[in-house]
Amino acid sequence: MIWKRQIPILIATVIGFATLFGWFIDHPGIESFVNDDATQWYDILASFAIFLGALNLMKLQGKKVFKQQSGWQYSLFAIGGFFFAIVAGFIYKGNDAVEWGVHVTSKGTLFKWMFDYMFTPLSATMFALLAFFVASASYRAFRVRNLEATLLLVSGIIIMVGRVPLGSSISSWFIMYLMVLIVSIAVNIKLKDKKITFSTFLGGVLIVTIWGSSLGWPIDQPGLFYLPILQDWIYNNPNVAGARAIMIGIGLGIFATSIRYILGIEKSYIGE
Amino acid sequence: MLKDKEFWLVAGGISLAFIIYWLSGYPLFKEERIVMFLVIVIMSANLIYYTRFARRGGEIFLRAIPGLKAVEEAVGRSTEMGKSVLYVPGIMDMDQVETVAGVIILGHVSKMTSRYETSLNVPVSRSIVMKAARETVREAYTMEGRPDLFQDDMVHYITDDQFAYAAGVNGIMVREKPAACLYMGKFFAESLILAETGNSIGAIQIAGTASQSQIPFFVTACDYTLIGEEFFAASAYLSQTPELMGGLKGQDMMKAGVTTAILISLLMRILFDLGLIKWNIISILTVQ
Repeated sequence: MIWKRQIPILIATVIGFATLFGWFIDHPGIESFVNDDATQWYDILASFAIFLGALNLMKLQGKKVFKQQSGWQYSLFAIGGFFFAIVAGFIYKGNDAVEWGVHVTSKGTLFKWMFDYMFTPLSATMFALLAFFVASASYRAFRVRNLEATLLLVSGIIIMVGRVPLGSSISSWFIMYLMVLIVSIAVNIKLKDKKITFSTFLGGVLIVTIWGSSLGWPIDQPGLFYLPILQDWIYNNPNVAGARAIMIGIGLGIFATSIRYILGIEKSYIGE
Repeated sequence: MLKDKEFWLVAGGISLAFIIYWLSGYPLFKEERIVMFLVIVIMSANLIYYTRFARRGGEIFLRAIPGLKAVEEAVGRSTEMGKSVLYVPGIMDMDQVETVAGVIILGHVSKMTSRYETSLNVPVSRSIVMKAARETVREAYTMEGRPDLFQDDMVHYITDDQFAYAAGVNGIMVREKPAACLYMGKFFAESLILAETGNSIGAIQIAGTASQSQIPFFVTACDYTLIGEEFFAASAYLSQTPELMGGLKGQDMMKAGVTTAILISLLMRILFDLGLIKWNIISILTVQ
């Protein structure tokens, strides 16, 4: 039991304290441990652990093929791809003029060919799918269901339009007329009175027209309604404020979790 | 956990040792980092205080977190439908605290799946995560008295590559159609690819991450999302262990402290800019 409980907790505590307080100690040995050695230990362990992963992958895919479980044909591709990569990496270079080692990045080798014409296009395909997923996710997020979703929709439109060249060609006066229309619709929905709605609309249009005529209709004045400035304000103020609030919570969460580990309060990782 | 007398003896001993060290000229200590050091000590003391407070039976209020309440509901739904639970612990290695938190939550989820006799599928993208997650699941099944239900292949490795992993997990989703998909860990661009595919198969989806840029994607595509600190609170919430719940209270007190410090710093900076005080608080708050 001591090997499965106390020793792992002791290792976590000692290494945790060493790396945490090592940051405050001005000693080359400790600094080197914190900045280099500890991470290198991890990298060495991870390098050896890759064999476990590869074996597990082959075991599962092989089992699927031998037992002809559903979708076993896909496993043939996984196994074939695995052995092809090993051959290209360790057995056959495909270009005798290139040394072993650099062959993985040199032109004319089998490994480089595999990387450029198989791996990269496949990865790019997966990444490109993101564009369609963003579109479908945005459609759901931007549906006007409640006040929050409406705010999201309006902010999203302002940011998107304000960041493209078209946005800087839209006069702030046009946005103001648009706002008069939106306010009038809101008034109509809320009060359901045609006279008040018409008065609001007419009053708004008159105010904007008189104001615009007196200033000579400058495209970017008043700045509050000019889309490039407005999107910049939304991006740098409400957005950053919300993001920082989340960041503070995340930072404290990480700190509390780490301290719980170092002090041995959190022992879930050993199954307790 | 130490008893009260032992605790105060240890705490007093450490404090005394530090005072002696400080009075002797604090050799090797990076003086410019003293503020950060004190903040860490105060925050740690606060966490220890509330952990001990909870352990002594102090009352801790834990607000309901819908995403965590839904975990059991998701496992129950999978059981009713006779389908598996898919658990994705992120794409990073065990050196990331989010992955560690994800593996801890996996322990709680696997306890539920063992109780309900529901199959669990955990595809991982790092070999060390595979070993850690497998041991966690094995322990959970053993503790629930169902080691017979545990199989090594529940936790399996796919690949280290980000998009190849996303393709592999998507394949599992489309072929096996799990009733519940849980994403708990560190994610990057693949978050939306996974969550949208899960959405398309009609699975109940719960995500938890501290990857700030991925939170909007999960909020959009998943039924429940644990945002930032909620994700780190999951272990305490699911286990209901007093020590861990006390830690949450300590975390909240730290947040109150940080908020107060921000407001005081803002005020002092305004006074400095107006020339009413000559001391710039930013000079001591900047990490050296």
